[in-house]
Amino acid sequence: MERRTFTLGAAAAATGLALDIPVPGGWMKALASELTVARGDGRPNRILVVVQLSGGNDGLNTVVPYRDERYVQARPKLKINASEVIPFQNDLGFHPSLRSLESQWEAGRFSVVQGVGYASPNRSHFESMDIWHSCHRKQDRTQSGWIGRYLSGCSDSEQKDAPGVHVGAEPLPLALVERGVQVPSLASIEQMRLKSKSKVMQMEEDGTASAIGSAEKSSVGEGDSDLLGFVETSTSAALEASLRLEKALSVPDETGDFPSSGLGEKLKVVSRLILAGLGTQVYYVTLDGFDTHAKQAAVHASLLRQWSDAVSAFCKRMQQAGLQENVLVVTFSEFGRRVSENASQGTDHGAAAPMFLAGPKFPAPLVGEHPSLNSLDDGDLKYHIDYRDVYAAVIEGWLGAASLKVLDGDYREGAEKLRLFG
Amino acid sequence: MPIDAKTTLAEIDPAFAWQKWSPADQEPWDEQRVRLLYRRGAFGAGPKEIARGLKEGPEQCIATLLGEESQSTELARQVEVFEKESGAIAAAVRAGGDIDRLAAWWLHRMLHSPQPTLEKMTLFWHGHFATGADKVVDSELMYEQNRWLRQHALGDFRAMVHGISKDAAMLLYLDSATNRKAHPNENYARELMELFCLGEGNYTEKDVQELARCFTGWEIRRKLFRFNEYQHDEGVKTLLGRSEIESGESAIDVVLAQEAMPYFVVGKLVKFFVMDEPQASRQFLEPLVKTFIASDYSIRHVVHQILLSNLMLSLWSVGRKVRSPVEYALEIVRSMEATANLDRLAKMLRPLGQALFYPPNVKGWDGGRAWINSSTLIGRSNFVVDLLGDTNTRFAGGSLENWIRAQGIDSKEAWMEWLTKSLVAVPIPDIERDALQKGMAGRTNANGWTAPLISLSQNPRIHLS
Repeated sequence: MERRTFTLGAAAAATGLALDIPVPGGWMKALASELTVARGDGRPNRILVVVQLSGGNDGLNTVVPYRDERYVQARPKLKINASEVIPFQNDLGFHPSLRSLESQWEAGRFSVVQGVGYASPNRSHFESMDIWHSCHRKQDRTQSGWIGRYLSGCSDSEQKDAPGVHVGAEPLPLALVERGVQVPSLASIEQMRLKSKSKVMQMEEDGTASAIGSAEKSSVGEGDSDLLGFVETSTSAALEASLRLEKALSVPDETGDFPSSGLGEKLKVVSRLILAGLGTQVYYVTLDGFDTHAKQAAVHASLLRQWSDAVSAFCKRMQQAGLQENVLVVTFSEFGRRVSENASQGTDHGAAAPMFLAGPKFPAPLVGEHPSLNSLDDGDLKYHIDYRDVYAAVIEGWLGAASLKVLDGDYREGAEKLRLFG
Repeated sequence: MPIDAKTTLAEIDPAFAWQKWSPADQEPWDEQRVRLLYRRGAFGAGPKEIARGLKEGPEQCIATLLGEESQSTELARQVEVFEKESGAIAAAVRAGGDIDRLAAWWLHRMLHSPQPTLEKMTLFWHGHFATGADKVVDSELMYEQNRWLRQHALGDFRAMVHGISKDAAMLLYLDSATNRKAHPNENYARELMELFCLGEGNYTEKDVQELARCFTGWEIRRKLFRFNEYQHDEGVKTLLGRSEIESGESAIDVVLAQEAMPYFVVGKLVKFFVMDEPQASRQFLEPLVKTFIASDYSIRHVVHQILLSNLMLSLWSVGRKVRSPVEYALEIVRSMEATANLDRLAKMLRPLGQALFYPPNVKGWDGGRAWINSSTLIGRSNFVVDLLGDTNTRFAGGSLENWIRAQGIDSKEAWMEWLTKSLVAVPIPDIERDALQKGMAGRTNANGWTAPLISLSQNPRIHLS
């Protein structure tokens, strides 16, 4: 890898930043011109926001077959009663916490894909999450994720913003990883501000960004690991994202009415970045805590409310901005939970579960059948829609790209049958 | 024969890798090696510790880190003084019940313990038997677990697993505190095999269900472990091919007797001390696994062998780990003999991705590349700005400038040299060194001394160990 050292004069001074760090490639020069470009130019026509419910969401208590005797028997303490559900078709009802999404549902802007999963389900959180992220089983796992691979296929040299952004304090999800693709993680906007501003005032100023060429080859861990190359590209991406954000967010805050919950705050950041006109196409956020082995009812109700309130606030903000046909929110979890509740008023790890789509107008509010409670797989719901069929539909039908390489397999037939998008 | 830095792991002979390293003409016992041991086996070192380590030689240096001078009354005295001080802090903190202050108490131990490897291993086990205060809530239980982990941190691994399986904080965290006969809770059973002892793929779903049955009736009442025989499933259980399992304890023994266990544990220790990647093969771990088994699963024996090995001290291991946030922060503090407001320091670790007592989930911190992202990198630079900008931060009791002069450093160039040598494990190419020097030219005021460190905090190399 070729590495160059830049010292930044005027451009850094303009943003109040001093950077005398070595950076790979030529982004710093591009950045200098980018800083003068008006905002709002680069927004992609189709944006994807992924919401990950970590820990295994109890799909059965989210989309509830409340009239099914087998459900009532399997959930003596945890069942959602007929009087509580938000009923819709086919003897199914939503958990009462989904109240805020009702208006989206009625407007045809919220859709449920039922019974999603994969063959021989893995019930480890970490393995199953990795399967959803990488689209590979452990034995043939590559260290890359489906979104990372998608983003690497649509690299655009004109594009100055990160192709994907992860908003959250947890490590970068595997789904966004791919060699050569830098997806920044933003814990919060505040945490992306460099504090070392006083330094620039003392910098000797030569007025222009001047490049000192250097073609030093890393000698660390060549062959089986390139940690140095990794921290170098990560550092330049971090500083670039920090400068770009500062610029993009220098406009007044017009964020709409977001709940002050963790997910609400994250989707508010996403909303701000989209409205600021960032060229980013994929945003990724998570909501943790769904591993409800004990005393599930209150925790699950509160998590679902947090999720539905945040997603509906986000959708409303996009509608206000006239972006409702441009932004899709996809929600998933690594697995559902066991049909029968356990003794701790909770549920253990399960298998198939619903996915949720929100944002644009959908042809069908309900996709696929609710998994049968008659025919279980070791006590768990059976899947009948492969999660990669849904991914393929999102890649082909929403993002308008080819899914074969991204998913490392042909899921187009399954995707077409789903008819997720108009 | 030295192991060249460019050699891949597959090309290294496992037997040689784990043999005891000895100084030679090409590979002298030098400052670089003392620093390496203090980075990996402790939380960095100040000038006095570096000088002592040089004098001690490799074996004694490691014995010092591990607190192995059992015959030394001097160490015993130091430990006594330190424990008294730490105990007083703990008493004040526990009275308040604030978990953030508990983190400050632990940071004090990491910074000042005369047995630093013990603290490092306690941190290792905190990530291995990860338990989060967000769910446990009770700070006293978190304190007790921490104390217990420290007591066993270099001891017998099997005793550790038996003990943690009855630890109140752990059982609350993994919901096994109310594990009933009629509906066993699978959470602890699964993680015991997947994350604590064997690794994924070394058991079946059926084993998880059977092991959960073995643990029925293991409860926590009034913050203490209790066996409730009325809730214990007395039926026949088959676990990992064994069918005569009388109790939860014997079930743990069955798990511990699995062939995969020593490879799993030793592999994790190698990752922690030597390299983030690539993952070592079973064959490569074989010599250490032998030590582990022969010593009756003594963690101390394995850690000792790793630290004193050819693989470690040939310098092949340099730059092969990403500094954890705790390492990054404390190595900066310790290198300059600094003292800081520890409550604030504990909070400053949060945006860097490693809040003590709050591991992200039961898997603990992934480490390696997962430490690094845009927010944590910006955070690492801001950490230095905040640390140096805090008037509570003192350097051997005085100002930064006085401390620098006391080291015999009289120019900004020499100061940058010193910082680079002390904090950057991987050599900086001359061209970048020039740029770093140039970036701080012409500064004369007191703040001028902080500029080089802030500058370094934005250099990617500082993140490698």
